Amino acid sequence: MAEDLYSVLGVAKTASAADITKAYRKLAKKLHPDLNPGDKAAEEKFKKIAAAYGIVGDEEKRGLYDRGEIDASGQETPQQRYYREYAGGDEGARYRSTAGYEDIGAFSDLFGDLFGERGGARGGAGGRRFSMRGQDAQYRLDVAFLDAVNGTKTRITLPDGGTLDVAIPPGVTDGQVLRLKGKGNPGMGQGEPGDALIEIAVRPHSVFKREGDDILVDVPITFDEAVLGGKVEVPTITGRVFATVPPGSNTGQTLRLKGRGIKSKSGAGDQLVKLSIVLPERIDEDLKSFAERWREAHRYDPRRKLKEQA
Amino acid sequence: MLSERDIVARVRHLTVTRLRVWVAQGWIKPADTAAQGFSEADLARAALISNLEDELGFAEEDVAVLLNLIDQIHGLRSELMGLLAALEELPPDIRATVRMRITSRREGGER
Repeated sequence: MAEDLYSVLGVAKTASAADITKAYRKLAKKLHPDLNPGDKAAEEKFKKIAAAYGIVGDEEKRGLYDRGEIDASGQETPQQRYYREYAGGDEGARYRSTAGYEDIGAFSDLFGDLFGERGGARGGAGGRRFSMRGQDAQYRLDVAFLDAVNGTKTRITLPDGGTLDVAIPPGVTDGQVLRLKGKGNPGMGQGEPGDALIEIAVRPHSVFKREGDDILVDVPITFDEAVLGGKVEVPTITGRVFATVPPGSNTGQTLRLKGRGIKSKSGAGDQLVKLSIVLPERIDEDLKSFAERWREAHRYDPRRKLKEQA
Repeated sequence: MLSERDIVARVRHLTVTRLRVWVAQGWIKPADTAAQGFSEADLARAALISNLEDELGFAEEDVAVLLNLIDQIHGLRSELMGLLAALEELPPDIRATVRMRITSRREGGER
């Protein structure tokens, strides 16, 4: 038995056409099958209100219905295939959005990356694709001391056979990580590639030591250079230079070579030359007799402080 | 394959111009892009858009929002179905464990 079409739409028999449309739209927005995918009950209800509106929403048919010339079941809207019937199938794949799975990826290590992949692989022209930034790739690079302080360019061979050009900035420190933007693993969809992270290991040098931006070098001098002073050849990180040893220099004294250290953005460090007096390997008679004579007249005690303190 | 004309003939209130606007906006993506050939799914989608605009009275900008959400829902539903189908293939004891975990999550909130 057919229901009263006005009560299906929840309006009075005397309602205006505008009110009927308003009532229908309100119900239809709630019940439209494509706005309720998977809800069978909504579809049944929607069909009823659509059929009712098909009659009382049409001035002519409403008149016929009111006069009893057609009944409620007299008008059946032609069977519409709802979009939701296709949306889940192969045909719907073109439209299915796979946007917004990145948070799921973060949620599940094992499965997260599965979601959205298919859409990305299949998505046709203009389709929304799953996009994810590529992962960072991590490498370790051994660098010689002088290359680290002066900077250099090098090329590393990757496990997959590819190569990566790395510019090592002057003054790079042991353990520092260089980031090469976009040189990591490729992204998915529109996602950017990840970065290459290169951890630098600086090999120690037999002569040079580093302290901040300063370079430390131990330089032996002769007994006579220490007494009389003079110019001595000293290695620096950029080559050999002559340093002036003042007369009366002693073991442990340090000469500062301004600007001969590591050049960084904030300026250049210095090279600190630590002197140590080295006697000749063989003490000859000459030196021996000189020392004996000298001792007679110029005895001094370099250990006085030591005795006072311990 | 259905032509532009077939679609227009089968969807009430639809004109070729409107259909072309929908295609241009990406709301409808002809199954056969080169030949502008439409599938049954495209037809149903055109009917849906017409429904939303003409019957339900949604404005054009609202339709864009609705389609976006509808497409996301179907994307999610499709992933969910795939997940369930995969679970169905697991041994019974594992399925039971998964079921239990899901239930306890629902009830317990935080794990």
